[in-house]
Amino acid sequence: MAGSKVKQDMPPQGGYAAFDYKRNLPKRGLSGYSMFGIGIGLMMFGYWRLFKWNRERRRLQIEEMEARIALMPLLQAEHDRRTLRMLRENLEEEAVLMKDVPGWKVGESVFHTDRWVTPLSEELFNLHPREELLHKRFGFLWYV
Amino acid sequence: MPTTLEVPALHELNVDEIKVSSAVLKAAAHHYGSQCDKPNKEFMLCRWEEKDPRKCLEEGRKVNECALNFFRQIKGNCAESFTEYWTCLDYSGMTELRRCRQQQQVFDSCVLDKLGWERPDLGELSKVTKVSTPRALPENPYHSRARPEPNPVIEGKLEPSKYGSRLFFWNW
Amino acid sequence: MIHMLLTHIINPLKYMAPVFLPVAFFTLIEQKMRGYMQFQKGPNIVGPYGLLHPIADGIKLFFKKPVYPSTSPPPLFLFPPMLPFMLSLTLWAPLPMPFPGIEINLTILFIPPFSSLAVYSILGSGWASNSKYALIGALRAVPQTISYEESLGLILLNIIIISGGFTLQTFNIPQKSIWLIFPAGPLPAMWYVSTLAETNRTPFDLTEGESELVSGFNVEYAGGPFALFFLAEYANILLMNTLSTILFLGASYTPNTPEFTTTNIMTKSAFLSMLFLWIRASYPRLRYDQLMHLVWKNFLPLTLALVIWHLALPIAFAGLPPQF
Repeated sequence: MAGSKVKQDMPPQGGYAAFDYKRNLPKRGLSGYSMFGIGIGLMMFGYWRLFKWNRERRRLQIEEMEARIALMPLLQAEHDRRTLRMLRENLEEEAVLMKDVPGWKVGESVFHTDRWVTPLSEELFNLHPREELLHKRFGFLWYV
Repeated sequence: MPTTLEVPALHELNVDEIKVSSAVLKAAAHHYGSQCDKPNKEFMLCRWEEKDPRKCLEEGRKVNECALNFFRQIKGNCAESFTEYWTCLDYSGMTELRRCRQQQQVFDSCVLDKLGWERPDLGELSKVTKVSTPRALPENPYHSRARPEPNPVIEGKLEPSKYGSRLFFWNW
Repeated sequence: MIHMLLTHIINPLKYMAPVFLPVAFFTLIEQKMRGYMQFQKGPNIVGPYGLLHPIADGIKLFFKKPVYPSTSPPPLFLFPPMLPFMLSLTLWAPLPMPFPGIEINLTILFIPPFSSLAVYSILGSGWASNSKYALIGALRAVPQTISYEESLGLILLNIIIISGGFTLQTFNIPQKSIWLIFPAGPLPAMWYVSTLAETNRTPFDLTEGESELVSGFNVEYAGGPFALFFLAEYANILLMNTLSTILFLGASYTPNTPEFTTTNIMTKSAFLSMLFLWIRASYPRLRYDQLMHLVWKNFLPLTLALVIWHLALPIAFAGLPPQF
């Protein structure tokens, strides 16, 4: 390799001359520092506005929550009664449906307990149209 | 011990329900919370202690009675401004209270003038409160079985295990 | 019969047309704009002002004889172009317009995984082409897309922290006081650059660098399959800009004039898309190492630091958004 006859293409002695790669644009507009400062200022203003509004939003949230807290007993009582009514209707229907089956106990619980077991929506809406079950499940949407 | 489901008969569940939409309820919520405080708290306490909707029907009936009375009073005295208020809420998309402050103010002042109800301050309704009630504290609301007897105290002499602990690796 | 027609033909078309008509005209606008930036006219033969060019292009592409490489299995070859097409359609569904295609919660958690699935189409198409040029193109495109996903994800995390919502619909609420572009500081700029890189636009279009590769991962595709890629890419660009608009450029829903919601969003996102074209006409392509250094050495540390910053500052000034 040392005695190769090929002559390597090399830069001239002392290297190439300096090449002017910069574009000659006129300097105009604000300096970098001032643009940076404006940016920071805008950010500060933004934080101030946003935080103020976020605090206000927390207060508004408390207000909305209190509306729900105030209404909860009413809605809960109504919901309880509705559940019980549907259970009772189911039981009556069961008695009619299963009257020919000997040894059938109406309303026999599948659970080995005395305590109140919150019924599933499927159980409640068993005798209702499927639409109502779907509505119960997916009828209400709240953004998170 | 398979048990049967006991559900009260339908006539026991018949109550004059409040047949209004969510916007109406929400518009009235704060005043309702302060006016019907007693039956509401009573009902929620019962519900919390009993863990059984069948046992709180009487309290629930009282809640509804109070609510019905409340809405009747509003209807009798401030129907116009109230309708305006809840219509506004209904039209504001997600029934946000902040979008209807003007109508709320009119409604609040009407209620204050005619019925003497003051709108509760922010944080008033979410306070933790004590409720005095004649209802007895339920025993064993979860219907738990009796706890097993604690293990008898070992009489004999206790010795370290012969071949060392199984947990020898974690010896701290 | 009429039901079949409705559910399988008319409804899909009703959904696809509003997505792909803008895409078609976006390509026309791109050609026009780049033309005018070089003192040329751009396409102006078919139709008035060349308005029918994109349609002619589409017809031409879909009527071309599909050419498949004889060495690649057709199913593997044809699946990758369909994937981004489907994804770019799916992603438009949950956007917070007045009646969105699907109204779901946690939209922000829905969109990134779906848009990152598009990586598999790049990888798959490069691999299934059974050609080393396509494979090299895919290998160059995949790390780029994956890297910039990460930056997008971290920026989203920042935004979630200061706005307090995971659903795009809720982004109207914090921006009622001020557009998030202001308090978010350098994030919108990084987001915009990342969307450029994510959608493989100049100056990050290393997948299709003509000097090193011939058109990148999709060399072997022609006609219809290529059109699918093309449509998906442009639909993705518009989608990303819509997303940027929703995240940073203010509330779109105004309770007094709800009918202008969509107009509002799409006007702003059209403006952002114009910026995409302007950037394409202005900037030279980055080198591959510069591309990677930008995301891993600049964006990643900065966004990570800003997560902490955007957690610490609101806590310090009691300005955290309400937690539901």
